[in-house]
Amino acid sequence: MSTNAPHPPSIRSRLTSALLVWSLLWGLAVGAAIWLAVAHEVDELLDDTLQASAQVLAALAVLGQERRTPEPAVAVKDPPVDRVAWQLVSADGRLLVRSAAAPDEPWHLRPRLGFSDSPGWRLYGRPAGSDGRVLYLGQSLGERREARLEVALSAVLAAIAVGVLGHLWLRRRMDKEMQPLQALAQRLRAWSPETAGHRASALGPAARAELAPVHDALESLAARLASRLANERAFSAHAAHALRTPLAGLDAQLAVALRECPPELRSRLQRIREGAGRLQAVIAALLGLFRAGAESRRTPVALATLMARLPTARLQVHVQTGATVEADADLLAAALANLLDNAQRHGARQVWIDAPAPERLRVRDDGPGVDPQRLRDLQAALAAQQYDGVTGLGLMLADRVARAHGGRLRLPEVERGFAVEIDLGEAAAGCDGPRNDATPPAATAPGDGTDGPAGNHRHSSRPR
Amino acid sequence: MRLLLVEDDDLLGEGVRDFLAADGHRVQWCRTLRETQAVQDEPFDALLVDWQLPDGSGLRWLAQRRARGDRTPALMLTARDRLHERVEGLDSGADDYLVKPFAPEELAARLRAVCRRVGGSASAVRRFGDVSVDLHARRARVGAQAVELTAREWAILEALVLRAGRIVPKAELERLVLGGGEVASNVLEVHVSALRRKLGRRVIETVRGLGYRLEVA
Repeated sequence: MSTNAPHPPSIRSRLTSALLVWSLLWGLAVGAAIWLAVAHEVDELLDDTLQASAQVLAALAVLGQERRTPEPAVAVKDPPVDRVAWQLVSADGRLLVRSAAAPDEPWHLRPRLGFSDSPGWRLYGRPAGSDGRVLYLGQSLGERREARLEVALSAVLAAIAVGVLGHLWLRRRMDKEMQPLQALAQRLRAWSPETAGHRASALGPAARAELAPVHDALESLAARLASRLANERAFSAHAAHALRTPLAGLDAQLAVALRECPPELRSRLQRIREGAGRLQAVIAALLGLFRAGAESRRTPVALATLMARLPTARLQVHVQTGATVEADADLLAAALANLLDNAQRHGARQVWIDAPAPERLRVRDDGPGVDPQRLRDLQAALAAQQYDGVTGLGLMLADRVARAHGGRLRLPEVERGFAVEIDLGEAAAGCDGPRNDATPPAATAPGDGTDGPAGNHRHSSRPR
Repeated sequence: MRLLLVEDDDLLGEGVRDFLAADGHRVQWCRTLRETQAVQDEPFDALLVDWQLPDGSGLRWLAQRRARGDRTPALMLTARDRLHERVEGLDSGADDYLVKPFAPEELAARLRAVCRRVGGSASAVRRFGDVSVDLHARRARVGAQAVELTAREWAILEALVLRAGRIVPKAELERLVLGGGEVASNVLEVHVSALRRKLGRRVIETVRGLGYRLEVA
């Protein structure tokens, strides 16, 4: 990353700032709720205390005027104050005056000064006069519990409400902060080493500071990939020329030799030429596969047209009329050439090719086939892509061609001969296991002039 | 036909030359673009050009010939098989594009096809009045009667058929048929006269001062 480029915002700082703001808001909201609840309760308590205090003072003033202790204890006639009550108790424990809410019996028989408790009451006693009288001010414990509960409930409700809102808000905020990641993923998906060219940056600048190291790593990877692809292309071009030209030379020389040779050499030279043809098919397949990852192109391929340009040696090839598949023509030709070569070398005389679907191709022959165990071994090797020592080059190449198209090779069980199914689509991948298939159409002897099953084109061996 | 083959690989060049020569063609084989300079003014019936040559691009060489107005049919022979390369080859002036390795039989067939197209005919058999000429089978007939022609007579007839309707200058016809070496000045007239005796006097027209012409039926 350029040191002069402005620093992109940081996901962490943006989220932590947002969380901080939200926490402050949360605290304020909860505090406000607690404040309101507490204030309400405190105001009520203090108001009651004021009222009770006034009652006490008024009663004491009245007592002072009457100069005697009323018998029995007088309840002040003012409206009762629920939360605060009071008693004036003599030194010997007689109740002299009380508020309407206070009990008839004195809270304490013996004077107790300061804070104390009586069942259901929180009390405060202080001397009221030099004759040992004590004034007790009491708060109902029930009222205290109610106050605490109210405050706690208010706080909890406020916290829950703010928490839920905060969660929803944070989710939306997180989605927004994750958008640069999604944008990065999209740019990665759209990036291609073939079209990257010489652009300095494959992914553009990082939208967030935390993504900068990821961008740097991906840019580096993209550059290495593009470089490797360029090297492979250059190698492929040189390898292609270095391999293809001598092969063409071999074939041309053999063609001339076949014309000029004495009759006794013709058969041997023809076999040499056929062997060179097989070598050409293998090399074409390998060269095609080498660059398949970057350059395979799917187009509609008419099988009859494709087969017309392939060497079929001594095979009779029956192609389903009108059969067409969506495939890279060159890769498919390479795969089919090798499969036909396999069929011919394993004793087949006829081959049927059809396309049950645009992304599926079947090749069946009338050769001796393979035993069930061997078939299972081949199927397992192809499924695991562990070809060494199990499959031949032809099956391996055909499987690689299928996988280059996003599909795979399958070997269905057939009653006679050997069958290969080339799946060319991603939709067909992942479907494992043997599949039973119908018997190949009844073989007709080569050269009997028939075209085999209805709807097939027949290709005879190409004159070489 | 007289062909110019530009191919640097000895094995392939020799094989193609010998195969086409066995088919009756006269092949001038150049291994480099430099060697083609010695024959750049020579007339050919077709060009067979390799793309990658030691001293340059056969494609560019062909494009330059096209830019100079050369319409000689040309086949590109190359190991380059990518789609964009095939398109580039055809857009640069090649009439056909053969990817190596190719069978020489296919090369010969495509050569015939290209020359038919350039000559304005879809068929290997051309008719000129009573005369029919099968370029593939290298046979001529007058009516139903086959006519025996010598190699040079056939070469002259083939060169005129491929340029049917156009006047072919005598000098050009001489170089196409007889090569660049020195020959007696009336050799061509002798062979043309022989052709007229075998095919009919009206088949080959002499355009005085310009050359010969085969009229299209």
